[in-house]
Amino acid sequence: MIGSAVRLSRVTRQFDGLAAVSQVSVDVEAGETVWLRGSNGSGKSTLLRLIATAISPTYGGGAVLGHDLVAGRAAIRAQTDLLGHQTRMYDDLTAAENLRFACRLHHADPAGVEEALERVGLQEVASVRTGNFSHGMRQRLALARCVLRAPRLILLDEPYAGLDPDARVVVDDLVAEARVGGRTVLLASHEAPPIRLLDRDVLMDGGRLVTAPDPAPAP
Amino acid sequence: MILRVAWAIAAKDLRIELRSRAAVSAVLPFAATILLALGFALGPNRLLLEQTAPGLLWVAGLFAAVELCHRSYQAEAANGALEGLLLGPAEKGAVYLGKAAAAFAQLMVLFTLTTGMVVVLFGMPVGPSPGRLALTAVLGIAGLSAMGALLGLLAVQGRTRQAALPVIVLPLVTPVVIAATRATGALTQGTPAGVDGWLGLLAAFDAAFLAAGYLVFGNLLED
Repeated sequence: MIGSAVRLSRVTRQFDGLAAVSQVSVDVEAGETVWLRGSNGSGKSTLLRLIATAISPTYGGGAVLGHDLVAGRAAIRAQTDLLGHQTRMYDDLTAAENLRFACRLHHADPAGVEEALERVGLQEVASVRTGNFSHGMRQRLALARCVLRAPRLILLDEPYAGLDPDARVVVDDLVAEARVGGRTVLLASHEAPPIRLLDRDVLMDGGRLVTAPDPAPAP
Repeated sequence: MILRVAWAIAAKDLRIELRSRAAVSAVLPFAATILLALGFALGPNRLLLEQTAPGLLWVAGLFAAVELCHRSYQAEAANGALEGLLLGPAEKGAVYLGKAAAAFAQLMVLFTLTTGMVVVLFGMPVGPSPGRLALTAVLGIAGLSAMGALLGLLAVQGRTRQAALPVIVLPLVTPVVIAATRATGALTQGTPAGVDGWLGLLAAFDAAFLAAGYLVFGNLLED
């Protein structure tokens, strides 16, 4: 383990005055795989979006991969991938075109597109528009994008939702590969991932961490 | 790097439009309806039709720009792709330039087709300086694209902002529409005195809109 990948201190995020995440302090070591568990509406997705810098904290702060959560957003984004409820694909582009576009946007090498599609079992539909894809196929394609980018921090938000058993294996393989590669994974799910993949779990309820491991000191 | 990202965004937008035909199928009938309705309202007075044609052409161009840019960002909002642009490490100004370039290319095609309709329906002459007329079209469409690519973003970021879009866009692009209309009118009527001033004004607005868009696009995109 080499330092903190995620260190948040008393982070709060409000929407219209209501706190979706409240006073959360958490410390995730680099290379750890952490299961963020909790029921729907417990604040898991908001916490992941805060870490990915998709949204800013209302109060509090912290660092991700050594960069300040607000001032270092560009550096964090370059090394982080968030797989959320929405797959961020364009319906009128094919699977391969979506991945190639993501590569250009993220300065990644598009040479591995075919291999990434094969990894997630979509090589046969590489030239099909994603508007014709099922939810599970879209999720697989988002996983392929993550494979291509190989980010240091992977944030998975309900990655098993709507997936068949084969696709679940693809998710598990991605997490296992990330562990071997020393990358950090935060996996938010109300379903339990295979225990062999996890270093520890953290429970969220009502926007707060119920089991808060190693709270970071206030800056 | 900036140009590479801008090119990737523009190519993606144009590819989507070529496949979906969303802008052409929505904007072109809209522009044709405006022109036909106004043509019938103005009556058979050929001189009046010729004199009002440049203004009608640019009003149709303005509405086409607003509609096209709105649709372009709707495609980004679907499936959360807009968040993908936000979370990419690419310079956000480059994303803006790509969106503006794609809007420019699409609007030029639509504007050319609309001009053809105006020539046929209103008898608008091309005039003795087709080159300068084309330059007017390029500068005017560039201004509409630059502003549309910036403010179209607001339309997909919340109900309040969507309602405010026309209120913000229309006053800002009014100088562009006026300058383009005056230049087009002068060139088609064969009275080019003062056209250079209007073209200079258009170029100045284009530069200002592009610079402002490049600088503030990232802030609008952020949470």
